[in-house]
Parts: sequence; structure tokens; C-alpha cells
Amino acid sequence: MILADFGTSYSKFLDLDDPDPRPYIKATKELKRDLKVDLATGHNGKRFSNVYVNELIALARGGEELIDDDRYLLLDCGSRDIKYIRYRDGKLQDMGWNAECGASMGFTIELLENYYGLDFNRLQVPAKTFSVTCGVLGISNIFDAITSGIDEAEAVASFVKGIAINAYRFAGSPDKIYLSGGLCDNRLFVESLPCEVIPLGRFVLLKGLERTQRLSSVNLPGR
Amino acid sequence: MNAITPDKKIDMILGDPELRRIGIVGVPPLRIIRLLHRRGVEILDLDAMLVVEDMESTVALLPRVYCAILRTVVLNAMHLELDAIILDVGPGKCDGALHVAAVLEESLPIPIIRTINSDSEPFGTPFCRAEMDMTEKFLAITERVKSPTILGNPPPPCLPTAGFWGVPPRDFSILDLFPDTTHVYGWTRCMENKTPADTGLEAHFNPEIPTVFFAQSFCAKTALARLLAKKHPHALYLDIDVNTGSSAKAKIQAFLELSGVER
Repeated sequence: MILADFGTSYSKFLDLDDPDPRPYIKATKELKRDLKVDLATGHNGKRFSNVYVNELIALARGGEELIDDDRYLLLDCGSRDIKYIRYRDGKLQDMGWNAECGASMGFTIELLENYYGLDFNRLQVPAKTFSVTCGVLGISNIFDAITSGIDEAEAVASFVKGIAINAYRFAGSPDKIYLSGGLCDNRLFVESLPCEVIPLGRFVLLKGLERTQRLSSVNLPGR
Repeated sequence: MNAITPDKKIDMILGDPELRRIGIVGVPPLRIIRLLHRRGVEILDLDAMLVVEDMESTVALLPRVYCAILRTVVLNAMHLELDAIILDVGPGKCDGALHVAAVLEESLPIPIIRTINSDSEPFGTPFCRAEMDMTEKFLAITERVKSPTILGNPPPPCLPTAGFWGVPPRDFSILDLFPDTTHVYGWTRCMENKTPADTGLEAHFNPEIPTVFFAQSFCAKTALARLLAKKHPHALYLDIDVNTGSSAKAKIQAFLELSGVER
């Protein structure tokens, strides 16, 4: 049985029939059009599977699997969106999903890193924060800053910090965030979040699918 | 502009023998609905989606960023042949309706009647508490706005497993996500009860069941929806504009499933 989280930029897979199942990643743009998996989530999940679990449910189930606490906030930062789940006393308390503006999340951060040839794991968190209410306007801030003589790396870092602050506020400005998604590997982003951060990596939604499969609340083919 | 239409003038307009088809906005006073029934006038609920026309055509009369229900009212009024329009512009509807009345008066060659519905005689809320497909439930409730009589043979109440608080949404597709045992609260309940300005009934909810507090984006009721959602121990606040996006549907689905509500 193959589980998959089909993201906008990257897709994550787990083959449960493998004797030693380990998650692996492929670029979504390289997937074959006729690919079908047994259980999927993610932005492109419905295209590649007959059984789809919505992303908020997969995230919540992933949190239940990975977080040994009954009161927490789990934030997933993806290529084009951010979503969070808040649990209290072991029960869902609140959730949010900003799927409307993809301009300012992981996809843009990766584009900027490649365009300017930067390594976000080597950059320090800057003092200045750009107000990034819109990704496109935020990028204009970078150009303006560079024009005014600020170093390219510092300007981009201020933009990334602005995105991190936006995500933090969207999640309700918590004291502690369990972080999910590819940005867990981006030290600049993680350190720009103004609270305690526990990165869980990019396979949280896959963990959620594993739990969903075990709970067998869906009628999975081949079971 | 914006003056409430006096009863004498209403009676004169509605007494016109040429009157065949009238549009209503919100819940007009029962006196008027009874009068229209006696006269055999066709009533069209302009809050509902009655025409298949591009919403963008309303931009000539209303700002694009405006309540989707009131934009729908204007869209219907622009494209339907009506002999008059009656709007509840009091606390049973909203200030937006008051201003939309002025817009319609400027742009349409038909009488625009402004009323304030302060009816307090309860007609009951059987559909809000019935086990019934949610879309059918809302269609039944909104259809009843045109009726002056108490429902004969009402459906029995069921034990609720989920709650929906709010106005009838412009886009009914979100209702598909709720189980048949969902109880309906908020202004929709006031609407079925024919007491649209009953703020006490509007603020009522059941804290024992997971409840979605819904409001149309840009509607003043978003403030009440958020306030009540904060008070409710197990709530999801949601505002939606013209159409329901996939993330809003996913939120409802996740909220209900993770709250243990079965469809």
C-alpha cells in the first residue's frame, strides 16, 4: 500500500508493503500523469489517488501520532499555503487554512534562495522585518531595499523573517509551535519565528495518513 | 431617501390591481405577506439565487467588496421583471439592506418599499431541529418566508449531533458537508420562527454539540458569529464570500470528522 502527500512543489511517499518502509520525496513536476496511489492527501492528492484525505485531517492525525502532549499548536508551512491545528485537552480546539495566497510561502522562499544564490542555513536572522502582507508587494520590498544599498542577503532574510512572522500571527501568536513542512529545514525561517519551535519535518501528513489507514475510517482498496 | 415607507403608502402600492410579481428582501412583516397572499401576488425571495447571471454585472451599482447576499439581491433585481420590491431594513435584516434600498430606488423604475419587521409572535422552528438533508432543510426554511401560515404537520425534532449557526448561506454547497441530524441556529432559526429581529433567539446555541458559526464575508454578523464561537466550547468560525473555496469546505469536513461527528 502506497501513501502519498502530493504537495505543490514536492510529493512525499511511503510504501507500507516495503519491509523497511521509509518516506521518500519526488518533485511533483516530475510525477507521471497516470500515477495512482492507495491513499493520498495534499494539494494534488485527488489527481493521483482514488481515496483522498483532506489536508487538515491528515495534519491533525499526524500531530496525534507525533506529539506527546494534549495541548499544542501544529503549524504546517507548505509551498503555497499555511495551515494549523490547535489541540487542547487532547481535543481539536481550532484550526486555520490560508490557501488563498500562495505568493508568500515556501515556493517563493525557494525561488529567492536559488535566484540570489543564497544558503538560508547560513544567514543570520536580521533585525529588520519586512511587512509581507502580500508576496508580490513583499518582493518589491526586497528590490527597494537593495536599491537603497542594503545587502541582497540581508534584504531577502528580512523578507523571509516577514513571512515567518505572518505565519506565526496566522497561528494565533502561540508560545510554542510544532512545525511541519519543508521549511523545517530552513534554519533562517525557523529561527525567525518569535517563539519556541519544535520542527517535526516534512513527513507529518504522511504520518497522518498512516494513522488514518490504521483507524480505517475510509474503505481502502486492497485491504 | 431611506425613510421607512408609511403603512398607508404600502397599502396603496400593494393595492394596485396591476401588481403581479413582487420581490422581497429579508423577512417582511407578516401583515404584508398576508396582504400579498390575499391579493394572489407572486412573491420572489431576492436573497436567494434566482438568476444565472454574472455577479460582476452588479459592480455598476454596488462595490465589489460587499455582502454576497446583498449583491445577489441586486443581481436578481436587475434581471427579474418585478412590480415592486419590499425590503426589511430594520434590525431583522441589516443596515446594508437599507442602503441597497436606496441603490435600487435610484436604478429601478418600480416602487421600493422599506419596512421594519418587529413581529414577535413565534411560528416555531421545526425544520431547524428536524432530521433532514441540510440542503432540503434550508430550502424548506427559506421557502416558508413567503407563507403567512403556521406549518401544518411539522417534522419531529431529532437529537442533534452537530450545529450550524448563521444566515442561510449564499452558496448552499457547504450544507452537503453536514449530517442530517444538524440543528440550525442563528438568524436562520429567527427566519423560520418569523421573528427576524429576535436577537435573543439569534444568539442562542447548544454548547453540547460541535457547531460551525457561519457568516457571509463583509456582513456585520461576522462580529456576532466570532463572539459566539469564542463562547462556545467546541466551535469553528467561518466566513465565506460568494462561493465556497476548497479550504473552507476542508475546514468544515475536518472540524466535523475530528469532533467525532458521523455523516
